[in-house]
Amino acid sequence: MGPEGTCFECGVFPAKLIFPPDYPLSPPKMQFTCEMFHPNIYSDGRVCISILHAPGDDPMGYETSAERWSPVQSVEKILLSVVSMLAEPNDESSANVDAAKMWRDDREQFNKIAERLVRKTLNLPYP
Amino acid sequence: MPAPMPVGGLTMASFALTAAVIGNAYYQKRQFYPSVVYITKSNPSMAAIYLLAFTLVILLGKFLKKVFFGSLRAAEFEHLVERSFYAVTETCLAFTVFRDDFSPKFVALFTVLLFLKAFHWLADYRVDFMERSPVITLLFHIRVISLLLLLSLLDLILVSHAYHSTITRGPSVQLVFGFEYAILLTVALNIAVKYICHTVDLQSENPWENKAMYLLYTELCMGFFKVVLYAVFMVIMIRIHTFPLFIIRPMYLTMRSFKRALNDVILSRRAIRNMNTLYPDATPEELTAVDNVCIICREEMITGAKKLPCGHIFHASCLRSWFQRQQTCPTCRMDILRQPQPSPASQGQAPPQAAAPAQPQTPPPQVPQQVQPQAQQQIPNPFAGLFRGMPIPMGPPVDLAPFPFAPVPVQQAQQQGPTTSSSTSTTSGATITSSSSTTTTSAAATGGSTNQPGSAIPAASFNMMPPFFPLFPFNIPPPPPPPLNFSAMTEEEVRQLEGNERQHVEARIQVLRNIQTLLDAAVVQMNQYASIVSSLDKSTRINTASQQCPNQTAAASETMVPPQQPTKSTDQTEDTSLLVTPLLFSPEANDSSFSSSEEPSTSKPEVASSSPSNLDSGQAESASWLGATTVADTSPPDPSDPEDPEEIRRRRLEHFSQNS
Repeated sequence: MGPEGTCFECGVFPAKLIFPPDYPLSPPKMQFTCEMFHPNIYSDGRVCISILHAPGDDPMGYETSAERWSPVQSVEKILLSVVSMLAEPNDESSANVDAAKMWRDDREQFNKIAERLVRKTLNLPYP
Repeated sequence: MPAPMPVGGLTMASFALTAAVIGNAYYQKRQFYPSVVYITKSNPSMAAIYLLAFTLVILLGKFLKKVFFGSLRAAEFEHLVERSFYAVTETCLAFTVFRDDFSPKFVALFTVLLFLKAFHWLADYRVDFMERSPVITLLFHIRVISLLLLLSLLDLILVSHAYHSTITRGPSVQLVFGFEYAILLTVALNIAVKYICHTVDLQSENPWENKAMYLLYTELCMGFFKVVLYAVFMVIMIRIHTFPLFIIRPMYLTMRSFKRALNDVILSRRAIRNMNTLYPDATPEELTAVDNVCIICREEMITGAKKLPCGHIFHASCLRSWFQRQQTCPTCRMDILRQPQPSPASQGQAPPQAAAPAQPQTPPPQVPQQVQPQAQQQIPNPFAGLFRGMPIPMGPPVDLAPFPFAPVPVQQAQQQGPTTSSSTSTTSGATITSSSSTTTTSAAATGGSTNQPGSAIPAASFNMMPPFFPLFPFNIPPPPPPPLNFSAMTEEEVRQLEGNERQHVEARIQVLRNIQTLLDAAVVQMNQYASIVSSLDKSTRINTASQQCPNQTAAASETMVPPQQPTKSTDQTEDTSLLVTPLLFSPEANDSSFSSSEEPSTSKPEVASSSPSNLDSGQAESASWLGATTVADTSPPDPSDPEDPEEIRRRRLEHFSQNS
C-alpha cells in the first residue's frame, strides 16, 4: 500500500516475502511482483533495505550493524520499513541507479512514472 | 556465459570459417596430408581452427551447464561473470610469468582450468542456494552429487598429473596447475560438506541446530588448508620462478576469509561459553514479567531460558544459534563480549566508586556538574563518599586554590538565576545547622570573608589577592574529627548526615560562585578603569593628579586578568549585570552605538584585548557596561581618585547622546 502524501499514494503493490529455513536468524527476502520504479528496488523487484541484510556480511560497506537484520525484527517491521522506504527513498545506496538519478534530478518525471505504476496496479487507465 | 545469440553467431561463424579454411586447403592441395600441412603452416587458417576450438569449448560448457545446473539464476550469472573477469585477468598475469612456455597447449590448459573453476563456483552458488530454496527436487540432488563427484575426480586426476609431471620433468607450469587444482579440490570438498549438511538438515524435521557450527568449522579447516597451500605455492614460486603476482588477490581473499572464520569461531565459542556459564537462567518471575515469549522463535519460554547481561531473555538454543552468527544481544545489540562480566556486587559498587571522588565537601569547581544531580541520587552506600571526603584538614585551601583559575563549569552545571551575595550568605548560613561538617563552616567563612571585601572595596581586595588565599587556613577553624564509627549511627542518622552534606556542598558552591561573580565583576571594572584612564591620558590630560593611578590600575588589571577565563565568565557578568541593572543606566545606555563608537573613551577594545579570549562585541559591551554599573554601585574603588567614575559616566552619557 503506497503511503499517503507521496507519489506512491493509493497504490497497492503486491510483493512476496521469501523466508529462509533458518528464518528468525536470517532475514527473509522481499520482492515486488509488480513493476516498480524506485531507487531502492532492483529492476527485478527485490527490495534493498538495511534491515533485510544479514548482519555478518556488509556487501556495500556503509551500513552499521545496528540497522541490519536481527531475529527480533518482525514482518510488521519489515513492511513498515518498506512503506517508509516508498515514501522516502534513500538515494545514497541505490539499487536502481536510474530511479535514484531521476529521484534526485527530475522529481516530476519520477512522480509521473510512479503515478503510472500506481494506476497500473489499480487497473486504471493512464491518462 | 555469453548470451545465446552471440554464441549462436559465433558458432555459425567459426564453423563457416573452419569449413572455408579446410575447403580452401583441400581445394588447393587435393590431398589430405598436404592440406593438413598447409593449414598448420598458415596462420589465418590456424586462427580459424583456434576459433573453432574456442567455440567448441563454449558449447561444451553450455552443454555441461545445462546438464548440471539447468538455467542459471540472475545472481549466479552476475557472480560468474564477475569472477570470470578476475580469473581471466589473473590468468593473463600468469601468462607473463610463464611466457617461455607459451603455447597453444598452455592456453588450452588454462582454459580447462578456468572452466573447472567456473563450475566450482557455480556448484558453490547452487549449494548455497539450496539452503534458501523452498523445494529441492530429486533432479537437483542428482545433479549436485554427480557434479561434485565429477569435479573432485577431475581435480584429483589433474593434481596427480601435475605432481607426476613435476616429479618426472622438473618444475614447470604444471606446478601452477597442481596448486590451482589442489585448491579447487578443497573448494569441492567444502561444497560437498556443505551439501551434506544441507541435505541432512532438509531430511530431518526439526531445524538442525548444530549445522551452522559444522559449516563454520568446515570453512575454518578449508580456509586453513587453502592458506597453507597458497603459502607453500608462494614460497616455491619465488624460489623457482619469480614473485607470483597472479595469486596475490586470491591469496589475500583466502587469508581474509580464513581470518574471519577463525574470528567467528573464537567469538561464537566465547559467547556461547559465556552464555552457558555466566548468564543466569531466567527465573519464572522474570519470565512472567516479560510476557514469556522468546522473541527469536516467538514461542513460550518454559525452561532453558537465559538472561543476558542487558536483561533480555531468550531461549538458550535460540541464543546459541544467533551467537554463531553474531555476538550481540538480538534486541538491543549490546556486544555481549565487550560487556564486562556481570556480577551483582561490582555493579552495585560501581556508582559510589565513581561518585566518591566527587562527593567530598567542597567539590573542586572543575567537576561539580556530575556531582550534583546524579551522584546524590544513587548513593546506596554513604560511607564511601564520606570517608573520602571528610577528614582532610588541608581541604579548604586545596579546593579553593584553583577556583579563580578554573571556575567555569559551575556555571554550566547549574544555571542559577542571579542571587545577591547577601542572600547566598544567608542561605549558607541557614544550611549550617548540623554539627557534623567542617566544610560548611568553612564555606560560610569563605563566603562571608570574601563577600565583604569583594563588594565593599574591590580594588583593595584585588591588591590583596595573592596573600588572600594562603590566609584561608587560618581563618577557618580546624575541622572537627569525623565520627569514627558509622556503624554506631543508625541508618537515619547516616542519611541525615549525608543530606546535610549535600546541602552544605550546594551552599558552598553557591558561595564560591558568588565570590567568582564578584571577582569577575571587579576584574572587568579594573579593565574599565585602566582603559578609561589611558584614554584620558591620551585625549584630555586634564587630570594630572590622577596620572599616578592609571598606571597602578592598569598594572593591577594586568595582573588580575590572566587567572580569569572570560569566555565562561561572561555568563556570570551578565548575571551580575542583571542584578545591578536597575541602579543606573537607562536602557539607551546599552545601545549598540556604544560598542561601535570609536571615541577614545570607549573601553571596548581595551577590554577585549586585555581579556585573553574572544569576547564578541556584545559580551564586551555588557562587560564594560557592567563595569560601569559596578563602579557606581560599589564605593569608589580607587581612593586616590574618587571622582573618576562619576566623570566617566557623565562623559559616556554625553557621548551616547551625541551618537544617538
